[in-house]
Amino acid sequence: MSEAGGNVEHGLSGESSPDVAPREYTVASGDWQELPDVVEGGEMVINMGPQHPSTHGVLRMVLTLDGEMVLSNEPVIGYLHTGIEKNTEVRPWVQGVTFVTRMDYLSPLFNELAYCMAVEKLLGVTDEVPERAQTLRVILTELNRVSSHMVWIATGGMELGSTTAMIFGFRERETILDIFEFVSGLRMNHAFIRPGGLAADVPHDFELRVRQVIAELRDRVGEIETLLSENPIWVERNKGVGIMDAETCLSYGVTGPVLRSTGVAHDLRKAQPYCGIEQFDFDVPVTDTADAYGRYLIRIQEVYESLKIVEQALDALPGGPVMIEDQKIAWPAQLALGPDGIGNAKEYISRIMGQSMEALIHHFKIVTEGFTVPPGQVYVPVESPRGELGYHVTSNGSNKPYRVHVRDPSFIHIGALPPLSRGLQVADIIVAVASVDPVMGGVDR
Amino acid sequence: MSDSSSDSGSRRDVSDSSGGDELDVTDLDITEEEPPGEEETWHRRGGPGTANPNMAGGEAFRLRDQRRPAVQLSEELAALRDHIVAAFGDLEVEAFRGELTLIAEPDRVHDLVAFCRDDPDVRCELLSDLSCVHWPGMERVEKAVETTGWPTYEVQDEGRIEIDYMLTSITHNHRFRVRTSVGDEGGTIRSVVDLYRSANFMEREAYDMFGVVFEGHPNLERILMPEEWVGHPQRKDYPLGGVEVQYKGAVIPPPDQRSY
Repeated sequence: MSEAGGNVEHGLSGESSPDVAPREYTVASGDWQELPDVVEGGEMVINMGPQHPSTHGVLRMVLTLDGEMVLSNEPVIGYLHTGIEKNTEVRPWVQGVTFVTRMDYLSPLFNELAYCMAVEKLLGVTDEVPERAQTLRVILTELNRVSSHMVWIATGGMELGSTTAMIFGFRERETILDIFEFVSGLRMNHAFIRPGGLAADVPHDFELRVRQVIAELRDRVGEIETLLSENPIWVERNKGVGIMDAETCLSYGVTGPVLRSTGVAHDLRKAQPYCGIEQFDFDVPVTDTADAYGRYLIRIQEVYESLKIVEQALDALPGGPVMIEDQKIAWPAQLALGPDGIGNAKEYISRIMGQSMEALIHHFKIVTEGFTVPPGQVYVPVESPRGELGYHVTSNGSNKPYRVHVRDPSFIHIGALPPLSRGLQVADIIVAVASVDPVMGGVDR
Repeated sequence: MSDSSSDSGSRRDVSDSSGGDELDVTDLDITEEEPPGEEETWHRRGGPGTANPNMAGGEAFRLRDQRRPAVQLSEELAALRDHIVAAFGDLEVEAFRGELTLIAEPDRVHDLVAFCRDDPDVRCELLSDLSCVHWPGMERVEKAVETTGWPTYEVQDEGRIEIDYMLTSITHNHRFRVRTSVGDEGGTIRSVVDLYRSANFMEREAYDMFGVVFEGHPNLERILMPEEWVGHPQRKDYPLGGVEVQYKGAVIPPPDQRSY
């Protein structure tokens, strides 16, 4: 390649020969070329991610460095954008559950819960959801919180080089995913919580298995604590790293364990309780260290608190239906175990196919067309493992959502990375990002 | 002996007297009279004669809402509403399902949000959420009144984008919404990044998805879509896309073109 040609291709003499387009090396957005490698005073711009094992997902961070020290951190997101919010607008209300459960893939049940609570609030049927369904929702979401925190231990540990923590975390998480599979048939993306209740009742030995898992988890989370809490490497890497005070947290909208690590005991399960969670006795763990180590301690304590809630909820689990009585909202499926797995019950099929024409029409209409929802807007927040997960749902009175907007805590927390990482070493960026626990599926939606 | 025989005798008397034809008829009358007011559901009313298939749904809400009383604002929220309205002058106020919404003109939103942040009785530390809803021109649902079933449509020449600021106070444990509307072609509004840093990403998302320009935003770029992207995907005039699929000989249209 000649020198002149090289210059033209790189756009250095683009003005003299405008017919030759400058060659571009783009990283998706086209801004790669505009970033100077070296800015004044020996500062350097480094691109970290999006494909990097330590950025906690498909997250790209443009770091301005002075030696090892981070001067600024510009997070770039959107690599997992799937348009789920747009997709929910063209499908009936019930099908929205199947979409939103795929957003924050580590806490799918929280997404389902918040969406369904929003639909129920729009319908005005929040009080009519059966108590058994509400209590089961609490049990399932609290188990989900434990599994999500376990993945945090696993990935956070792996990013610091502790493969034992990774193995431990994923092993513990698997026990909970087994329960979810046992209940809903799926390890993730369950679509088990539906507007009006649950898709089906839990199997008869659900309680027994959950109690076994709780006992097992208490031991094993203790193991993780023994492994990490006093571990000199873990303490060195985490203590005093990623400090963000309460004022910054609030200004940047940060909630969840990160906010609680600054001493603000804000938990939506206490502040605005949902699904009858206020009847159970649990504490909101708080530290005032405001660093990554404090967030680790909080998450470990939250696991114990969640297990406590699940145990109490199992004790208090009432009988009865798990779907709302109103046949104009309730999903008509009446599931039973057949020779080839779970399916519609034989009695139900024979009734709609052989006995009642109206029942068949009703079944057909509510499955294809769904129910209509009164026009209006609601905002329903729940306390997800990462913080306030809010669903702002708008209805225009039709059988599809007019607009579903998700306030995902991970998205908001990524916005707080610049103040969090200013002045850190490059290696500590990884700790700081891990301690925030962003899930990129929820960030990009 | 005598007691028990007299007891059984009296019981028999009662059952005998109620076993007659007349009482059967009254029983039937009761069962037929009482439920229709309460139990009648919309599929029974909205029969095959309804022109708009969705009208049956509207009937449903009227009936449902007769049974389900509207959720009122809590006392705290009502007091808060009075406080803000007293301090801020004429604000349109909306209450739906126990949620409070304050509606202001776009040029007053910044002041209103600043007031809600700084006033000791409101003290919203968190801007929880900022989201938009696009109502294209010529068709817009007018106010959703909780007791009516079907929305009334107001024909409108210009499309609007509704911007909702969800404000949360941890101190007072309340949350409410500030709502405003801008035009959907080149609508601008003053940014609230100087009040809440969390608005940075939220406003970038709103700009990316709806094309609303936030004046004074430090870095108003696309955030979820690539920078060179054309169009704003969450707007109603932006198609979802998709192709039709075949299943066992039947052709299923893409999701945004289905009739159901």
